[in-house]
Amino acid sequence: MSSVVQWAALAPLLALVGSLINAFFGRSLKEPAPGVIASLMVAGGFVLSVLAFIGLQGSDHGVQVTLWHYLLGGSLSVDVGFMIDRLSVTMMLIITGVGLLIHIYSIGYMHGDDGNSRYFSELNLFIFAMLVLVMASSFPLMFIGWEGVGVCSYLLIGFWYRDKANPDAGRKAFIVNRIGDVGFLLAMFLTFKVFGTLNIAAVNAAAPGMLYGAGALTAIGLLYLLGATGKSAQLPLQVWLPDAMAGPTPVSALIHAATMVTAGVYLIARLGAVYAMAPGAAGTVAWVGAITAFIAAFAAFAQTDIKKILAYSTISQIGYMIAAVGAGAYWVGIFHVLTHAFFKALLFLSAGSVIHAMGGEQDIRKMGGLGRRMKITGNTALIATLAISGVPFLAGFFSKDAILSSTLTSGLLAGSGNDVLYVILLVTAAMTAAYMFRWYYGIFAGESRVDKHAAEHLHESPAVMTWPLGILAFGSIAVGYLGLPEFAFPNLIHRWLQPATARVDFNELASSTDWWLIGLSILMVAIGIGVGWWVYHVRKGAPVAGLKDSTLAGASRGALGFDALYRILFIASGEGLSGGIAALDRDVVDRGLAGIGGGGTVLLSRLARLAQSGFARAYAFAMLLGVLTLVVVAALTGVLK
Amino acid sequence: MMVPTPYYVALSSVLLTIGMVGVLTRRSAIMMFLSIELMLNAANLAIVAFARQWSASGAETALSGQAAVFIILAIAAAEVAVGLGILVAIFRHRVSTDVDELSEVRL
Amino acid sequence: MIALAVIVVPILFAVVTGLAGSRRRAALGFGLFSTLATFVLALFLPGSSGISTPWIPGIGVTFTLSPTGAGSVLTIVAALTMIPTVLMAARRVERDPGAFVALLLLMQGALAGIFLARDLVLFYVSWEAALIPSMLMLGTFGRDKRRAAVLKYLVYAIGGSFLMLISILAIKPLSGAASYRFTDLMAATPHLAGATQVWLFIGLAIGMAVKLPLWPLHSWLIDFNEQNHPSGAADVAGTLYKVGGFGFFAWAMPLLPVAVNRVGPVLLGLAVATALYGAIAAAAQTDMKRLLAYASLSHMGIVGVGIFGLHLAGLNGAIFLLAAQMLSTGGMFLVSGMLYERKGSFDLDRYGGLAKSAPALAALSLFVLFTFIGVPGLANFPGEFLSLLGAYQHHPWAAAFATLSVIGAGVYGVNLYQRLYQGEEREASFDVGALEVFALIPLIAGILWLGIFPSPQLSRIQTQSQLIATPTASATAEAPAALAAAPARAGGATDLLGSTGVPGEGPVAPDAPLGGSR
Repeated sequence: MSSVVQWAALAPLLALVGSLINAFFGRSLKEPAPGVIASLMVAGGFVLSVLAFIGLQGSDHGVQVTLWHYLLGGSLSVDVGFMIDRLSVTMMLIITGVGLLIHIYSIGYMHGDDGNSRYFSELNLFIFAMLVLVMASSFPLMFIGWEGVGVCSYLLIGFWYRDKANPDAGRKAFIVNRIGDVGFLLAMFLTFKVFGTLNIAAVNAAAPGMLYGAGALTAIGLLYLLGATGKSAQLPLQVWLPDAMAGPTPVSALIHAATMVTAGVYLIARLGAVYAMAPGAAGTVAWVGAITAFIAAFAAFAQTDIKKILAYSTISQIGYMIAAVGAGAYWVGIFHVLTHAFFKALLFLSAGSVIHAMGGEQDIRKMGGLGRRMKITGNTALIATLAISGVPFLAGFFSKDAILSSTLTSGLLAGSGNDVLYVILLVTAAMTAAYMFRWYYGIFAGESRVDKHAAEHLHESPAVMTWPLGILAFGSIAVGYLGLPEFAFPNLIHRWLQPATARVDFNELASSTDWWLIGLSILMVAIGIGVGWWVYHVRKGAPVAGLKDSTLAGASRGALGFDALYRILFIASGEGLSGGIAALDRDVVDRGLAGIGGGGTVLLSRLARLAQSGFARAYAFAMLLGVLTLVVVAALTGVLK
Repeated sequence: MMVPTPYYVALSSVLLTIGMVGVLTRRSAIMMFLSIELMLNAANLAIVAFARQWSASGAETALSGQAAVFIILAIAAAEVAVGLGILVAIFRHRVSTDVDELSEVRL
Repeated sequence: MIALAVIVVPILFAVVTGLAGSRRRAALGFGLFSTLATFVLALFLPGSSGISTPWIPGIGVTFTLSPTGAGSVLTIVAALTMIPTVLMAARRVERDPGAFVALLLLMQGALAGIFLARDLVLFYVSWEAALIPSMLMLGTFGRDKRRAAVLKYLVYAIGGSFLMLISILAIKPLSGAASYRFTDLMAATPHLAGATQVWLFIGLAIGMAVKLPLWPLHSWLIDFNEQNHPSGAADVAGTLYKVGGFGFFAWAMPLLPVAVNRVGPVLLGLAVATALYGAIAAAAQTDMKRLLAYASLSHMGIVGVGIFGLHLAGLNGAIFLLAAQMLSTGGMFLVSGMLYERKGSFDLDRYGGLAKSAPALAALSLFVLFTFIGVPGLANFPGEFLSLLGAYQHHPWAAAFATLSVIGAGVYGVNLYQRLYQGEEREASFDVGALEVFALIPLIAGILWLGIFPSPQLSRIQTQSQLIATPTASATAEAPAALAAAPARAGGATDLLGSTGVPGEGPVAPDAPLGGSR
């Protein structure tokens, strides 16, 4: 069936074509044509991905499609080619599937906006780049997709460019991404130096033969991690994601929840073989993920913007995924990518529905009780909230639980303090449930704080927006069953992804211990929801009212001050350095060298001018001297014979 | 009895030196001309002396040496005529013939 | 023959166009015809034969042109870039467009000479010949401070070239070569003593470093770009004329390998400094032209890093970047000229919100800008990537520092775009006209062609890169062997991978049953 699988290579092309059509002809097309065209292209990509999925059922290996030769340099040879295996197909399904739903949703959300065709053009371009990223067979090609999604993210965040704040947010995202990209680039250079190739499959095949724990492998792992933190908004490069909420909400759903930000997880999962041989790097990955998850969850409590809460929640959830792949549980990380794509996209889209209905309002302090007026949005949002909190039988429960137990049992992390890791993630789970409860309750339940004018405008969103919500809600429940806890149930997704990812040893636990762990995580969820219920429903928010101006709240609101720190450390000093060098060049280097050249010439000419005195006798004397010198020299060298 | 050539050469160099010193130290333009003439004639003397010395080896050597003297005398006369002409022209402008004051010839 | 034609055709048309003087239509017509014809001719360069005839037999100078290798790639791209340049120049130069276009065409001929010459003296003659039109363009058509700019430019250029000339004249007698032809020199220079090679190299290096440009000899570039004619056409010509890197690549380094080994690291350090310095200084500029000048300085720094990194990949990448930046930097300068048409100034503070009334211009210039800052998939990326990768192999720290300039590129690039196009608009403007679209199309086509299919050009460049003695020549066998020998490496750990240990063990258990591992 490999021919069917090969056709999947066309999927990015479809998206690119859609993007170009909308770019060149979009403005002459009437709505909803641009959106429909874009959605059709993504739908085509989805169909191809499904076909490839079916095609790969029987075989373990993927299919490499080589298109043309890209780079050449001595022993370096890089092709433009795709590797369509189970891992990339899984990502493709997520990208095109969730992407399709979001495209359809956008037809409604962006209705009437005069940048409509530009929006869909850029969104399709994003799908193209993201597909290239996950399908690439070599690192440079992956990097093309990697930066490509960064470019699209920049364009879409700053979509409403009239307001300077939006492009500025886009710029922040782009530049922070670029810092991560330096890590990716250096990782590629080192990879070539160590492995002699930049083909991903070749590197993965060679990795097990390398020295376990070698410094070079660890360095490669850390450098790719740096790239991943940039793209996936993890410590220390997480500061761009909350600002990225300036873009249209479907963009936040697609790019900053379901796909682009998971690229880092994909990268590490893809390179599992290398990380499996570099426990130092893997441990660092896991710790970065866990700490980020905790800090982001902490920051989510004091936010008041409907999307910012979700942004921090995204950072936190990705932290979970990163922790999973750091532990060596690559399929678990991808599993959480899958479940998270559903419920996080759903959360964002329902937020978009709310914003749409509230005429642009995003402050949750001005919301409340909306579930009564917007039944579909409210109910789907509830499902998503329960899913992300890890309530049993919904998708998030299964994937989060898998993460928790894999960090505890990972052989790769043994000795890196994986117990502490487990505890951090466990506590974060409780926090997740709590802040998400606050989010849901503050918007959809409880008393209405909506002001009169907005209340009149309130309505449920049109079908083109609510249908995707429904489908995503279904997914937020159903998708979890692909990954039932392994110790007792068949786990489809693990079996599916196993051939495409590296194997890492995990300790087996007694069956009862496994049940205890599940019970423990359910307990955490219950605590979180319980606290939320008590504070917001029972006591109507009174216990936290006084905290609003406390340092704790301040720390949370400012996300532990990373943004402010970076502003001082990098932006201010960067501007200083920049201005300094520019001034240095203008005043010192330029004037200096010009001064040397010019001044030197003037000096020499002044010296020469001394000889031109005008005194005839001086000239006569000079002539005499000249002749004498000639005579003496001639006599000495024997020219005169 | 022939006077040996070195005596003539010595006399010639003495005259040359006197002329040279005269050119370098005199301020009056006419005295500079005089000294230059002296130097020219010193050179003439040396040429004649050597012409006579080498006359034993052939008539042309002696004759060409003496012919050279005539040519030099003629050139000297021409050069002095031109130079005095320039000097008179300058004198009309500036009354003095002091060379040091004529230092505007500068490049 | 084609190589000769590529040089002669522009020069002939230059004469004709120069006679057109102030007749705009004639200038446009002749100029466009000439550049299109030259480009078509240039496309036939690969596969054509060269020329070699004695020129000044007394001192061993020949007239040798070779259409293969890196020179052909650069000539083709330069010819492509000239088409929109002449177009914009003919339309935008206020008085005497014929003269301006003639100067551009003269430059094109001289540049082709530089790229295709395989005789050292012919190379030098072309090098100097190209100086005259660029100087005249700056001095005659420049802006208010052009006199000082020209003076500075000349002093730097001629000062450097003078030292280069000494080295060039000395190299043949000292090495005992039969003529100044490259092949003859290559055969003879191995006989040169190390110290002699170093002195010859330094002489060449200074002249080429001025043209690269390499810090600290770069100051002429800033004023050159700032004071040139606002249409940007002369700046494009200036970009094409950044041939210092090519000089190192094609002449100084293949001929004097011992010197390269000794002096190379210093030059590499300077190149890294140039890359970073340019990017950092660019971020602080408020004048668009100066910003572009510093930014292109940064790119040339990366070219230098690639060249002095002494790895085949880096050498390929550096020359590829040299070609690519003709399109991207040239494109940016033409765009700046288009913007000047709208606002009459290069001061960034006067701009803002242009995307509203000029969305197509915004999109087109965004495309060129992204190429300019090295976004993968577009023309600059293969060159930058390979340059840095090549340098990393032997000088990881230097390459790492140079890679940081990528961040700087993001900063100045995005800042530039935003100050121009985002935000609220002050006064309405107009979108692209037919002229501007026609001007940008060849550049965009070239960017896509180089960005998507870099491989054919890279292999052509590599035929010339291989002439430079690199340390990898002996080490290429190691890396693939390391892969193949993996199972056999039980006892001896290679020095690439650090401390000793037993390979192949650890948590990775090759055939563990499904239940025990995840």
